[in-house]
Amino acid sequence: MLEVRDLVVRYRRGFLSAPGLAAVNSVSLTLPLGHTLGIVGESGSGKSSLLRAILRLVPVTSGAIRLNGQDFLSLKGPSLRVARHGIGVVAQNPFLSLSPRLTIAEILAEPMQAAGLAVNHRARAASLLAQCGLPAEFLTRRARELSGGQAQRVAIARALTLSPSLLVLDEPTSALDVSVQAQILNLLQDLKQDLGLSMLFVTHNLKVVAHISDSLLVMQRGEVVESGPTDQVMQAPTKAYTQELMGFGRHALRP
Amino acid sequence: MLEVRGLQVVINSDLQVVRKVDLSVPKGTIHGLIGESGCGKTMTGMAILGLLPKGAGLQAGTFTFEGTDLLSGAATLRGRRIALVSQDPAAALNPVLRVGRQMDDVLRTHSNVAKPARRAQAAALLAATGLPDPDRVLNAYPHQLSGGMQQRVVIAQALATGADFLIADEPTTALDVTVGAQVLALLRRLVAQRGLTILMITHDMDVVAEVCDRASVLYAGITVEEGPTEALLRAPRHPYTKALLAALPDARPKGQRLAALEGAIPPPRQIIQGCAFAPRCPMAMPVCATPPPRRTEGERFWLCHLEARDA
Repeated sequence: MLEVRDLVVRYRRGFLSAPGLAAVNSVSLTLPLGHTLGIVGESGSGKSSLLRAILRLVPVTSGAIRLNGQDFLSLKGPSLRVARHGIGVVAQNPFLSLSPRLTIAEILAEPMQAAGLAVNHRARAASLLAQCGLPAEFLTRRARELSGGQAQRVAIARALTLSPSLLVLDEPTSALDVSVQAQILNLLQDLKQDLGLSMLFVTHNLKVVAHISDSLLVMQRGEVVESGPTDQVMQAPTKAYTQELMGFGRHALRP
Repeated sequence: MLEVRGLQVVINSDLQVVRKVDLSVPKGTIHGLIGESGCGKTMTGMAILGLLPKGAGLQAGTFTFEGTDLLSGAATLRGRRIALVSQDPAAALNPVLRVGRQMDDVLRTHSNVAKPARRAQAAALLAATGLPDPDRVLNAYPHQLSGGMQQRVVIAQALATGADFLIADEPTTALDVTVGAQVLALLRRLVAQRGLTILMITHDMDVVAEVCDRASVLYAGITVEEGPTEALLRAPRHPYTKALLAALPDARPKGQRLAALEGAIPPPRQIIQGCAFAPRCPMAMPVCATPPPRRTEGERFWLCHLEARDA
């Protein structure tokens, strides 16, 4: 459903200067429907640039992106808006991504208003919350009255508002405690099964992504250094870098 | 080196942020302090540093650092024996001063060595934290350094005070995994080479597994379990420790549901009669409404009504 071919993103330092180093250098990936792809890499490895390019938030230097068979990079204006409804985004910190001023009902209604969805906004918001494991009482609350885990559930509910087929998750659990992280990972697993969602899961925590992903992509300095089915990458990493990411803490914790 | 029995911190006489913390940290070891947000880990560290917020009341059965009583606030050892390495090195360093000046500020306060000698001292300390080319780092502003390098500067500053006890509050959380691993290796090396003692505050079990000799698990401001790291992680006794470990994503095969711990920690205003964890405990019994007994086994202890063989 999502196909990226030889994607290159270069940031210009100034209007007239020569293009700088590639933040994303010739990255290709395929995400079939209903699959979860984990993208692992450290700060500066280009994973956020890759995500932004897929969301068309940064200009792409070269390469191709196909979303549901459409040439996503050539879309403009209203057709881009409609195509973007097919992608839901969940950011790392829900307290930054949820407006502190709005109630949860308003937060969830916003994308419906923007897309001109002809449904009862409140009823849809309540059913989205229920799907994400929160009772309808939360509709009248504001983000600051929620715990980190509850706020992240609201962020996931908002990402699902326009029934996307692709969910893009940028470090969705790294601001959370382990017990809450487990709840969110379980929720994502359920949503994937119930809604047949495809997911792009970006993180620097290889253990989290290994648990939830069908396949993995390891990035370093803008390039893909390793990719393949999760089990294969986890059991027989070919690159020292992947081993380093995985080995941390493991020897003492597991026999 | 550090002995804490029954530490209690109450803010504005009704917020019990630390209810009953027991800690015993021998010299030359790294002791982990584990728990979820709001469990009182950082407040325990702040109490040791003498940095509790205004309106905080401190009580303890024992609260001593090598024989010095930390309860009488006047005897604070911060900046002489005890130093803090905080989570975000970018926030710990002054963005508008060069590293050299910031190192010198610490050295000047703590010694009466002449300025050129202090410069050499600062360079030596930076080198000891594994920074290549210390002279270049001394002339740099913090924003010119990577996160890992900044954290090494913060550690060098802590050493510059002459402290031999570091409180490291989530020192690797803001760093990448591989960089964090290098910083942990550095702390381990400093313990071995300089006889440092470290209290490592973290919620990351991998960090505990990687560097800690012993660890305590805090729940709602209470030490519910303490023991040698390996025993604690391989065979946890307290149901809360078990729940934390079971929630880790690599505790279950891929694709299986994780054992998420439902519910929330009791708020600091709540008065706890029995076991603090009982409302969320999968093994709770009627007797859990009464205070749990302290059970011991070798070098470890935990607070639970369950016998070791049932736990």
